[in-house]
Amino acid sequence: MKLKILPPHMRNKKRYLAFEVISEMSINREEVISIIGGALWDMYGSCGISRFDLWVIKIWNYDTPGKYVMKGILRCKREEVHSVRSIIPTITRFKGGRVVFHTLGISGSIHSATKKFIEQN
Amino acid sequence: MFFDFHVHESYELVDEAERLGYSGVVIFKDGNNKNNDYSDDLVGLMEDSSFQIRRGVEVHSKNVVDLKRRIQKSRKEADVLMVYGGDLKINRAACENSRVDIISHPYRGRRDCGINHISARKAAENKVAVELNVRHLLKIRPQNRYKILGYYREILKLQRKFNFPLIITSGAYSIFDLHTPHDIIALTHCFGMNEEEATVALSETPMDIMERRDVWSNVLVEGARIIE
Repeated sequence: MKLKILPPHMRNKKRYLAFEVISEMSINREEVISIIGGALWDMYGSCGISRFDLWVIKIWNYDTPGKYVMKGILRCKREEVHSVRSIIPTITRFKGGRVVFHTLGISGSIHSATKKFIEQN
Repeated sequence: MFFDFHVHESYELVDEAERLGYSGVVIFKDGNNKNNDYSDDLVGLMEDSSFQIRRGVEVHSKNVVDLKRRIQKSRKEADVLMVYGGDLKINRAACENSRVDIISHPYRGRRDCGINHISARKAAENKVAVELNVRHLLKIRPQNRYKILGYYREILKLQRKFNFPLIITSGAYSIFDLHTPHDIIALTHCFGMNEEEATVALSETPMDIMERRDVWSNVLVEGARIIE
C-alpha cells in the first residue's frame, strides 16, 4: 500500500537548481549522478549528504561541435541550496577527462526552472 | 560587476568569461618570460570590446633583491602586477611594496597560510591584495582539500582583523577552470566567508586595483603626481 502524502505544511520545501555541464567526453544521466554524488561525498561526507534530499530530475543533451554540453535540473532542500551550489565548482574531472559544471539558476518549481534557464539559454 | 583577475592567455577563455557574467579579466603572463606579446586576436579584442581586458604580469623571484628589481622592471608595462608568493621573505617584501597589486598564493609549499600579523598590517597599509586562487582549492586531491580550506580560514581571520584587500580569482588556463561568479560566492561559504565579503573580493577589490593603476600612471616619484 502506498503511503499517504504529507500535508503541504509538513513537506520539505524544495528548490530546483538548473545546471550546465561542459565536458570533453559524452556523459549520461547515471554518470552525472555519480559525479555530483562523489563531489558531495568529498566535501560533506555521508552525514552531510543526507541533509540535502538530493535528486537529479532531468537531463538534456545538446549537440555542440568540439565539446559535449548537457543541461539538467537538480532538486534539493530549500535550506541547503547554498551548500549544494558550493560543490558545483569543485567538479573538475571525470574518468581522466576534464569537465565543468555551471549553475544556470535556482527556481521554486521544475516548470519555471525549465522555462527560465533551460529553454532560454 | 564581477572581475576575474587571474586568467591565462586564451581567446576562448576571454569569450567564456564574458558569457559567464564577468565584466572584465586580467590576462597574466610570466614576468620572467622575455616574449611578452599577446596574440593578434586577443589584442584586437582588447581594443574593440566593451568587456574590460587588462594586462597582468606575474613576478617570480628568488630573493628580495631580485623581487625589487623585477617589480621595477615590470611595473610600467603591467596594468596589474602580481607577485608569486610562497616564500616568507618574498611574501613580506611584497606586502611592504606599494607598487605590488596582488600577492598570489602566499601559502604555496608551506604548512601555514604564509601571512602573519606583521605582513597583514603592511598589506593593509600598502593596499596589497592577497589572492585566494580557487584553482588551488579545486585541483588538489579531495582528501587534502581541508589544508587549503584551513589556510583560507587563517587568511580570512587576519583580513577581518587588519582589513587588507582580499581578491578571489580562478587562475584559469582553459574554459574548464572557469566558474560563474555566483558559484564562486557559494564556494566561499565553505571556508567561512559571507556573501558580502565574497562580493567585495570579486567586485570592489578589482575595481580599486584598476583605479589605483590609473593614479599610478601619473605618479612621478612616490608622493608626487601630475594633476591634469
